[in-house]
Amino acid sequence: MQSFQRFDRSTSLFIVLLVVAFMLATFDVRSDGTGVGTTMRDGAQTLFSPLQEAASAVTRPVVGFIDALSDIASLREENDELREENDSLRAEVEEFAGVQAELELLRELNGVEVPDDLPTVVARITSPGSSSFDLDRWINKGSDDGISIGDAVIVEQGLVGRIDQVFDGSARVRLILDPNVRVAVRDAVTDQAGFVTGNNTDPLVLRIFQAEEAAIAGTIVETAGSRFPSGIVVGTVIETAADEAGFGLVAEVEPGVSFSSLDFVIVIVGYSPLDAQPQDDLLEQDPVESEEQPTDTTEPGAETTEPSSETATTEGSP
Amino acid sequence: MTGRDVSLALLMVVVAVVIQTAVFGDGRINPFGSSPAFVLVVVLACARYIDPAPALLLGFTAGMLLDLLGGSPLGLWAMSYTVVVYVSLRFRDRADDGPLVIGVGVFALTLLANALFLIVGTLFGERFFTSTAVIKNILLPAVYNLAVASVVFPLVTRLLGSRRHLGWSS
Repeated sequence: MQSFQRFDRSTSLFIVLLVVAFMLATFDVRSDGTGVGTTMRDGAQTLFSPLQEAASAVTRPVVGFIDALSDIASLREENDELREENDSLRAEVEEFAGVQAELELLRELNGVEVPDDLPTVVARITSPGSSSFDLDRWINKGSDDGISIGDAVIVEQGLVGRIDQVFDGSARVRLILDPNVRVAVRDAVTDQAGFVTGNNTDPLVLRIFQAEEAAIAGTIVETAGSRFPSGIVVGTVIETAADEAGFGLVAEVEPGVSFSSLDFVIVIVGYSPLDAQPQDDLLEQDPVESEEQPTDTTEPGAETTEPSSETATTEGSP
Repeated sequence: MTGRDVSLALLMVVVAVVIQTAVFGDGRINPFGSSPAFVLVVVLACARYIDPAPALLLGFTAGMLLDLLGGSPLGLWAMSYTVVVYVSLRFRDRADDGPLVIGVGVFALTLLANALFLIVGTLFGERFFTSTAVIKNILLPAVYNLAVASVVFPLVTRLLGSRRHLGWSS
C-alpha cells in the first residue's frame, strides 16, 4: 500500500513536471527571444559561463589530445587527398595571382566597402551547445563589448552565423548550418542573387529563383548585403546545377568555415542593416542619419530579389 | 535517503552540465560528429539511489539546465529527461541489477531521451529531420553512454550507494 501511494505521488509529480515543461516550451517559442525565458537564460549564462570557461581551459590539452586521436584514422587518407589538391592548387595559384591583383584593383577603383573595415570584436567560443543537436555556439563576449542581436559572426574562411541572443558577458551564435537560417547570397561568377539555407550538418542549400545561368561547381557564394555585410564568403558550390524547368536553381554549397575547429571568432558590430531595425526607430531617426546607413543594402540583387526570405530567417529561429 | 544525498546528486548534475557544455560537443570531444549525453548518465545513476520524487525533480532540473545553456526551446530536454527518469524509476523496481541490465537500460533510455527530444522539438518547430545525420545523433550518444556509464555508475554508487541502494532492483 505504501509502495502504491509512493508510485501515485511520483506519477502525479511526473504529470505536473511534464505540463510545466510543455508550458515553458510553448511560452519560449511564442515569446521569440524575449520574456522570462531570456531572463532565465541570462541568469544561467551568468552562473555557468565562468565555470564553462574554467572547465574549458583546464580540459583543453586533454580535449586536443583526444581529438587528435580520433582523427588519426582519417589522417592518412586526408594526407593523400591534400597532396593531390596541393599540386593542382599550386598550378591554379599562378593563374589566379593575376586575377586577384585585378580584383583588388577593381575594388579600390569602385570603393567597395569590405567587411574588414567595419568595427569588430574578437571572441572565444566557450561552449558548443548542450547536445549533438545544437547548431549554435556560445561566445565569451556580449552586450558589454557592443555586441547586439543580428551581428554577423565570421572567421577568416567566411561566415559563421549571426548573434541571436545577447547577455552582458556572453552571446549565442546561431550557425548558418541551422535550417532556420537563411542568408541572401550572390554567385560570385554570375552575380545571380539567391539565398542559402542551413541543412543541419549536411551541405548548405543554395536556391536561385529565375536563374538565367547555371551555378558552376567551385564557384564561391558570398553574402549579398541585407542582414549581413556584403562580400563575406559563405561557401563553395559543390556540383554544377542549372535551373530546372522554371522551378529555380537548387545547388549544394560546402560552407567555407570548418565549424568543428572554431575557437576564436570575429563579431562585426558596426553593421546596421536597415531591415533589422524596428520601423518606429527608423521613423524617429534624423533623416540625415538615415541616409548614412550602409549603402551596400541597396546593392542590385540583394534586397530586390529576396526581401522577405531573410526577414524570416534567424529572427524566427528559437 | 537524506537531504544530503539529494544535494550531492544535484551537485553532481551541475558538474555534469558544466562538463557536457564545456568539454563535449562540436569543436571539443566529439568523435564521429556526436558526443555522449553525459548529464543523462549522471541523472540515471543518481536516480537509482534517491526516492522517486527527488529523482524526477533532478531529471527535470538537469534537462532545464541543458535547455538554458543550449539552443533549443526551454523545456524540451526537461520534458525528455523527466520521462526518461520516470521510465527508469518504473524499471528499477522490476529488473535485476547488474552490468548487463544497466548497459541495456542506459542505451535504451538514451535512445528514448534523444528520440523524445527530436519528436517534441519537431512539434515545436525545430527542423531536426532535414538531415540523415539525425540518426547518427540519436544512436552514437547511446553507444558512447555505455562507456561513460561504466565510469559514472560505480562512482555514483560509491558516493550515494553506501547508505542506501534502491538500484534498478531493490
